[in-house]
Amino acid sequence: MTAITSTQGTVAGEGRTFLFKRYYRPIVSTLAVLGFLLLWEVAVTLGWVNGRFTSQPTQIYRAALVIFAEDDFGWHCGVSFVSFALGFAMALAVSIPLGLYLGVSRWGRLFLEPPLMALYTAPRIVLLPILIVWLGIGLASKVAIVFLGAVFPIMVNTMAGVRGADHRLATAARAFGATPMDIFLKVLVPGSLPAILMGVRLGVGRGVLSVVIGEMFVSEAGIGHQIMTYGQALQFSKLLVYAFTISLFGYGLTVAVRMLEDRIRNWRPSS
Amino acid sequence: MTQTLQDMATSGRMEIRDLSITYRKPKSDEVFTAVDGVSLTIEKGSFVTIVGSSGCGKSTLLLAMAGLIPKASGVITLGGLEVTKPGRDRAMVFQDASLLPWRTVHGNVRFALELQRWKRDDIDERALRYVRMVGLGAFADYHPHQLSGGMRQRVNIARALCVDPDVLLMDEPFGALDAQTREVMCDELLRIWERDKKTAVFVTHAIDEAIFLGDRVVVMGRNPGHVRDVIEIDLPRPRTNAMLDSAAFVEYRRRLREYIAADLAALQMVEALV
Repeated sequence: MTAITSTQGTVAGEGRTFLFKRYYRPIVSTLAVLGFLLLWEVAVTLGWVNGRFTSQPTQIYRAALVIFAEDDFGWHCGVSFVSFALGFAMALAVSIPLGLYLGVSRWGRLFLEPPLMALYTAPRIVLLPILIVWLGIGLASKVAIVFLGAVFPIMVNTMAGVRGADHRLATAARAFGATPMDIFLKVLVPGSLPAILMGVRLGVGRGVLSVVIGEMFVSEAGIGHQIMTYGQALQFSKLLVYAFTISLFGYGLTVAVRMLEDRIRNWRPSS
Repeated sequence: MTQTLQDMATSGRMEIRDLSITYRKPKSDEVFTAVDGVSLTIEKGSFVTIVGSSGCGKSTLLLAMAGLIPKASGVITLGGLEVTKPGRDRAMVFQDASLLPWRTVHGNVRFALELQRWKRDDIDERALRYVRMVGLGAFADYHPHQLSGGMRQRVNIARALCVDPDVLLMDEPFGALDAQTREVMCDELLRIWERDKKTAVFVTHAIDEAIFLGDRVVVMGRNPGHVRDVIEIDLPRPRTNAMLDSAAFVEYRRRLREYIAADLAALQMVEALV
């Protein structure tokens, strides 16, 4: 009758090249990272750059062993993680319903869009001094700053997802007697799920950034606090151990969200 | 309660009397008349096609029958009851892009049953039965983007039929398909329709399609949209492709072309004046 396009276009490879074609992305990425680390190591050893200020992969490795042994590493990570998780959970709980609401309500947009957009574009860090006065130095301020960092990208993307939904789908649903709630739950929400997840992914980045910045200023513990402390002491190897830890966490979470996005996107034409 | 009364009273005969539909043009107070004073009777079990050049209000008329847009004046009744909003007695087949892209073929057919609150226990099976009826049994788990245009329209038809409507409304369902697929789909549509002969209203701008499918062809003209003529198509059923070249068919085609050419000529004159 007609041709069917396959979603999973299998890479047609032969023999030896097959493995490379299939896995070339992770292979190339890994090689790039290893190459960079090697260059870094060599540059310091050969005196091209001053290792005192740039550190060195092997030095960082030794610093990591020290930190794991004597620095309460797990505890600091835990402190950061709790701030992040609480703030991010609150951001999800607020941004998705609010974004969905703003997506369907013209009046809601008229009232709320200008102030929300102003907050979205402004650097939220300027609110930190105020948050400290309101909430004190500690968990509450950090949770608040993570919340403020993550809430806007998720909300804005959710709203855009709902507004960008294909109105023809809603009309079709209406022709079959869909109630406004049916249209919302069965057309608008699933239709904007990819946009929502994209917002969540951006929100992860903002949230991780926020927790570190928050801890630099308003915390007695946590990864950000340790980074600040070692920075002031010029112990860059130890600083970088924490910096890598938080990067890895943010990266891992981003990849996880991206995998979720790919999963729910399988109905989309592959582009 | 009203629902059951309505179900009992519906018989599939549709009456349109003095129907007018107006739009307010966005960003101005100008009122645009899309359909003006249309009266039409669609008998139960008949296949009526509506043909006309684009902009003649044929799709608007169909949307009004579906209850999706408000009327400026006039009445539409189905089985003696006035049509004011979408109802279970009608189902609509859209041109394209009206399938939920995140649902499978089966899920899309099931969607209509969900919206009409069919009993949970048998909707899966019922949806699958209609997917098979349109010949897509092997594709039940495919997503719309994996299907060809013709297959997507089969899903659209299955979705409309599975809710067991009294009237099937089709808005240029094959408009986006290539000529060959169109012919196949017309044959297929008639094959399915002949089974239980539901009242069918089919909007198209393709003259051959209108004659081939219809018991009656409603010809619409533009500015504002109105019914120019209703032509009885006296060809036996089942219709076959051989009829496309019969003398009767050629004569129907000639008459319809004249109408549409006159309509377009009038439009060009208006444009020349402006």
